Amino acid sequence: GSPSADDDWQEAHERLAELEDKPVSNRERDGGADDDTDLLGDPEDALAERLTRLVIDSELEDPAIMQAVQTRGPTQVGERSWWGCCRPSRCLADSLSLLQQPGGLNSSIWDSSAVLQRIRGPLLAQEMPSVSVLDYALPQRPPQPREEERDPSERVLPRRSSSPVIGSPPVRAVPIGTPPKQAAVPSFNQQILCPKPVHIRAPMQQRYPAPYGERMSPNHLCNVPNSSLLGHPFPHSVSPVLTHLQRAQLLGGAQVKLPSLPSCIFLAASCAGRMSPSQFARVSGLVGSPLPSVSPKLLQGRVGQMMPPASGFRAFFGAPPAPPPSQPQHPLGPGSHLQNLRPQPQMFRPDTTHLHPQHRRLLHQRQQQNRNQHRSLNGSTGDRGGHRSSHQEQMRKDPYANLMLQREKDWVSKIQMMQLQSTDPYLDDYYYQNYFQKLEKLSAAEEVQGEGPKKERTKLITPQVAKLEHTYKPVQFEGSLGKLTVSSVNNPRKMIDAVVTSRSEDDETKEKQVRDKRRQTLVTIEKTYSLLLDVEDYERRYLLSLEGERPALMGERKQKICDIYDNLRGKVPGQERPSDDHFVQIMCIRKGKRLLARILPFLSPEQAADVLTVTARNLPFLIKKDAQDEVLPCLLRPFSHVLYHLPLGTVTSLVQQLTNLPQSASAPANPHLTAVLQNKFGLSLLYLVLSRGEELQSSDANTELMQDNQWTELMLMATRELLRIPQVTLAKPVSTPSNLISLFSRYVDQQKLNLLETKL
Amino acid sequence: EKHLVLLRDGRTLIGFLRSIDQFANLVLHQTVERIHVGKKYGDIPRGIFVVRGENVVLLGEIDLEKESDTPLQQVSIEEILEEQRVELQAKQESEKLKVQALKERGLSVPRADTLDEY
Repeated sequence: GSPSADDDWQEAHERLAELEDKPVSNRERDGGADDDTDLLGDPEDALAERLTRLVIDSELEDPAIMQAVQTRGPTQVGERSWWGCCRPSRCLADSLSLLQQPGGLNSSIWDSSAVLQRIRGPLLAQEMPSVSVLDYALPQRPPQPREEERDPSERVLPRRSSSPVIGSPPVRAVPIGTPPKQAAVPSFNQQILCPKPVHIRAPMQQRYPAPYGERMSPNHLCNVPNSSLLGHPFPHSVSPVLTHLQRAQLLGGAQVKLPSLPSCIFLAASCAGRMSPSQFARVSGLVGSPLPSVSPKLLQGRVGQMMPPASGFRAFFGAPPAPPPSQPQHPLGPGSHLQNLRPQPQMFRPDTTHLHPQHRRLLHQRQQQNRNQHRSLNGSTGDRGGHRSSHQEQMRKDPYANLMLQREKDWVSKIQMMQLQSTDPYLDDYYYQNYFQKLEKLSAAEEVQGEGPKKERTKLITPQVAKLEHTYKPVQFEGSLGKLTVSSVNNPRKMIDAVVTSRSEDDETKEKQVRDKRRQTLVTIEKTYSLLLDVEDYERRYLLSLEGERPALMGERKQKICDIYDNLRGKVPGQERPSDDHFVQIMCIRKGKRLLARILPFLSPEQAADVLTVTARNLPFLIKKDAQDEVLPCLLRPFSHVLYHLPLGTVTSLVQQLTNLPQSASAPANPHLTAVLQNKFGLSLLYLVLSRGEELQSSDANTELMQDNQWTELMLMATRELLRIPQVTLAKPVSTPSNLISLFSRYVDQQKLNLLETKL
Repeated sequence: EKHLVLLRDGRTLIGFLRSIDQFANLVLHQTVERIHVGKKYGDIPRGIFVVRGENVVLLGEIDLEKESDTPLQQVSIEEILEEQRVELQAKQESEKLKVQALKERGLSVPRADTLDEY
């Protein structure tokens, strides 16, 4: 009740007054036993003390702190103060004094804050946070019984074996002799998402000490530690937070109730609009205790209750980036990457699996170099001396290095890798995969040839995650009737109601009809292309699939091929295919020709022959249409492949088609043949066909070929035509098959043969 | 450790990369803006830069050993600015002529900056 609170307050106040009156004698005395009677005599301390009283307005009076302040030297106090925000005992004070480092050499950005604070009153800087939070968080809270407070202060706080400056040996996060009072712990277990992973600590520190230097407004102080905490409410911040959690516990129980108001605001602000690695960063126990993270790196190894990342990442990222808190001795952890090298035996190998191999190699090289450098530096100077010198050297070179913790870097790269995840890399990133396959093949080939150093061309190992079925469940709010339609990425809301109205036939003009027809053809081509891509992909899938699935795959493939063919030839399967029109239309379009070239290998021989025939039949027309594109020659190769399998009868008919012979005698010229001969593709195709025929003839000595009059007649006529045509107009074929001469030699006499030879 | 950043508006920044996040927002320390004209370049020291990620085109690390052997010649700031102005002017002139010529032929090419967004 309040009366008791008042009493306490009064008591405390009296004590304070007492303190002030006492002489300055016991500066050096350690305050282990006599906490209450220790005194401040220093003017500086007096000021500090007064200001302290100003803020603490009631209970917490810890002379031990003041005493510790005295024992601590003038240098680096401010900095240490952050660490010593809990009630330091004698040991703490001692260890702190040990940590005196020459100010100049180790100047880092963190140190400067100390310099600033040094003048302002170290006590304040140090004690304000711890105390003010308590006050301002719970103004109503009755002052803690003094026994409680005194108790923790008597407990031995861990001897600080190192400076909290970056690069020093790790501090044991859990203080030795942690007070058994763990009752406060549950109150800290609030799960707070860590929205903002990166923040610059230095400016914050520098900013705040300066303004409040003179004024010492407790609000500022209150805000500073809170905001800095929240400023990077990142997993690693949990560690410093935790230690201060424990320290705060020393202060006595559930004093730190979270979150205090400023923290709330900050948290909300930083939460807005920022992707939070919420899956893998839950800071439990955000503590209002003031730790502007001077060097959270030291406690990096401790993540406290950081939840492990989603299992998908787990597998990928090797060792989890956060070693469990059960290892209080854990060395720096991922922070030991480049700059923070200390020859600790259990150097945690940084998790660099996601880096590009070459990058990783470079990093390790540099690490090695640094290690060697430092080893030579350290020599026999021993543990801490060595640390310090190497550390100093680093600091000298670049005091601003390592603003981003390794954890932060990992976080960013995790995000980037997450974006690269794919269930089917061949689908998502086809060209990349193929490119690297080719590269690998090349390098493998090279390697086979020579024993040169194998150039590493391995690609970035992207994580492959099994496909997860996410059934979208529309978001539901409690207490609302029915489901709210909230549109999201997975559940897009229909914005426009577009209705397709088909035009009536009468309205269409001829032009429109033509246009529509062309459009339809285009659509057909596209559909066929999709089918083709699927068919081409089947081979790969076949290799990847299980035995049982393979027949099904083959069946699918066949079906698709049939569909393709149907598409090509026009889907009127009922009767005889009267019109080549559909096909011709397709062939008029450049893409259609390319499509045909790719399709031909998949078609059955009959189908392919059919296609060829149609092509030959309509060749002049196609040639005319192809004048601009000149894509027809791309068909030559697949055509020639097809030709290999054709029997003579087909070949004969092909020739017939090509040359449009026999003709009626009256026609003086054979426009068909002329056109064919004058076109590169046409001529080449003709040659191919002819040579195929010749092959067949020559190979099959005793066949009915000789008896096949049709062929002979055709050849005779063809040769006649060839002779007739002036050489100039003859196109240049892609290739002239060698056996043409022998072909013609059968049918013509030597003279004409020579003529022909010259022509071709 | 030094990094070179190319921005969308064509500026080149060189500095120590202090911080980065998933949007490629960058914090550069001791940044120097380097202007290249032909074979000459000039540096303007700028201090600390915070760059919004969407404006970053590319970012690369500078090999400190290789940084020294470059065929480029460093000139003073005034000089390089002057050169840049001259170059800009020349470009504008040629661009004007081009547009003129195209207009005469009945074509119009949309200006690059209006295309920039898409």
